[in-house]
Amino acid sequence: MKLLWAVSALLLSCLRANASTAPNIIAEPSEVANQTAAILSCNLTGSSLPIKGSHWTHNGKIIDSSMSEESTPFTTLRLDKITHHSSGKYECVFMTEPEGKQTIEVKILPHVSTHKNSEHGNENDEAKLVCDSHGYPLPTDWSWSKEVDGRKTPIINGTSDKYEIKSTPNKTTLIINNLSINEDIGDYICFGTNELGTTFNTIHLRVRSRLAALWPFLGIVAEVIILVAIIFIYEKRRKPDEITDDDDSGSAPLKSNSNDNHKDKNVRQRNSN
Amino acid sequence: MTSSEPKAKKSGGGGSEAAEDGDWSWALVGALFVSTSLVFGLMRSLGVFFVEFVQYFEASAQAISWISSTGLAAQQFFSPLGAALCNAYDTRVVVMTGGVLAALGFILASQATCLVHLYLTMGLTSGFGWGLVFTPMVATVVANVTRRRTLALGLGFSSIGIVSFVFNPLFQFLVETYGWRGALLILGGLSLNIVACGALIRPKPRSKAPEKVDSEKSSSSSSLLRRLSSYLELPLLLERPYLTYTAAVTLLNVGYFVPYFHLVAHSRQVGFSEYEAAFVMSAAGASDILGRVASGWFSDLGHFRLIHLLSLWTALAGLFIMLLPISSLSGSYSMLVVISLLYGFCSGALTSLVFAVVPMIVGVERVMGAIGLLQLIESGAGLLGTPLSGLLKDVTGTYTASFLVAGGFVVLGTLAMTTLPHYFSCSDPPAPRRRSHRDKDKSLHLELEQINCAPPDPSHGGGQ
Repeated sequence: MKLLWAVSALLLSCLRANASTAPNIIAEPSEVANQTAAILSCNLTGSSLPIKGSHWTHNGKIIDSSMSEESTPFTTLRLDKITHHSSGKYECVFMTEPEGKQTIEVKILPHVSTHKNSEHGNENDEAKLVCDSHGYPLPTDWSWSKEVDGRKTPIINGTSDKYEIKSTPNKTTLIINNLSINEDIGDYICFGTNELGTTFNTIHLRVRSRLAALWPFLGIVAEVIILVAIIFIYEKRRKPDEITDDDDSGSAPLKSNSNDNHKDKNVRQRNSN
Repeated sequence: MTSSEPKAKKSGGGGSEAAEDGDWSWALVGALFVSTSLVFGLMRSLGVFFVEFVQYFEASAQAISWISSTGLAAQQFFSPLGAALCNAYDTRVVVMTGGVLAALGFILASQATCLVHLYLTMGLTSGFGWGLVFTPMVATVVANVTRRRTLALGLGFSSIGIVSFVFNPLFQFLVETYGWRGALLILGGLSLNIVACGALIRPKPRSKAPEKVDSEKSSSSSSLLRRLSSYLELPLLLERPYLTYTAAVTLLNVGYFVPYFHLVAHSRQVGFSEYEAAFVMSAAGASDILGRVASGWFSDLGHFRLIHLLSLWTALAGLFIMLLPISSLSGSYSMLVVISLLYGFCSGALTSLVFAVVPMIVGVERVMGAIGLLQLIESGAGLLGTPLSGLLKDVTGTYTASFLVAGGFVVLGTLAMTTLPHYFSCSDPPAPRRRSHRDKDKSLHLELEQINCAPPDPSHGGGQ
């Protein structure tokens, strides 16, 4: 009787042990940091549950090419070239009951990019210089510096009305108020820092003078005035009698004029044909 | 009798026409070229600025597009006013004033601090200036160039296409170098060149002035109204030929612009790449320029009546617009390009003729007011056509319906043209003249009929 109880207790505990054991997945490597290429692998151990298949996800999206229906407890994913596009959180998923997953983080230095390498601003206006970052993990710190003749001076938020820095994890904006041609032309460097390190990018700022467009404008106005003057003078020289015909009284001389022209034109016409 | 009278006589008479198109007439054509490019060529190339405005004023693209809509609407709305002012006063002064206003609009726009400023300056002021410029310039060329009228118009209007190749990169450069404010200032300076174009117009006193002064007590309201209505050529609205023609041109305008707006999007939707779609548009633009000049030259040879040629080109243009979506249905890129080329040629060809036909219908003297009213009335068509085509696209999902309807409107316009009086005769009907010139007219009409039904005779050149 006691033996029966012991055996059944043992069987029961074995069954329950089997039922409650979640699959144990060993992920290798546990983390990828600052490498140019890597091979991620997951090994399903300690479970005799049936495996219907496996796949990988990248930042929550399933990688279609990694889907497999095989019931092997081992799966790998190759990353040939790790860029900011391919960094992020990778998860290997085994289709068992329940599903078994493990996460591998692929981290790189921040990839700091600018929309344009050189920005234009107008005098007395404001300029917005923007750097953004893609990749994982996003920078936790942004900072700006101004480089003039090789000397870098950091720009600190809030010290003056001139500069304002607005940062979010994936974008930083430097706003320079009241641009002046003498002081604000130069290179501005944005630094993005995450747990692996810091990268930077440079934007060159050009300031347009308010009056720069005035000279071409005045030049064109002068050209128009000269043209109009030439046209008026030419007209006055060529046909002085027509200018005096502003009123209707000159019908008689006009008639004779037109008759002369008529004859001339007939002659001309015959000659041209 | 004034000096413009014998000139009008000469333009009606056949024998002395050849000499009429002397150096000054071609200088006028050059002035038309420059002023048209500074009005419509400029209007079409403002896209570079709109990108800047969207960013600077943080407004939607639609709000910004109202700027050019306002400008175009103002130009068309104020056309009759421009025509009336030319009839009342001196064309030269009106055009020069228009040029100054157009330039002023851009100069003020360079100092704009909010979107409304842009509507008022770039839209309203410049549009008003353009209205005072375009109709008078076209009417002056129509009135003063007689033998090669259509060619002159074709050359003048070809400027729009040619200049857009230059203006787009130029404006991009200006915006980058000087900022949009500086670039607008420089555009204002460029627009001032219209003043120089206006200066080329000879200050001939109009024959209308003496007629209005038959009652010296011109302060009474009824005679004032009469003067006003004759400056605006309002009685034209009561004449059936003019109304028919205006209706035809309006119908034409409903469908005419649709390909310009939707061809690129349609090409992309059918599956061609961005570059292929852009090339289709460029090809149509290039053949448009060619069509304007070629049709101008051909029409002046005098083998056919202008109205017949116009109906031909509009019918073909309508046909090709309808064929555009069908050609791309088969997926063949070369078919799309060919149809676009043909469409571009026909649409350019008809623009040269649209204004050249007007003196046939209303007489050379009333051309100024006639074109002004025509511009105003046909502007409504543009307001109808583009939203309608957009609506059809939204409802049906493709551009096929839009193009078919647009082509249908163009063909309808052609049919309306066939209802013009004397359409099917081989000679132009005598152009109506002002009643007080009836005596002079009889001899003119005889000459006209002689020329038009006579076999093409090289010594007479292109008799209109």
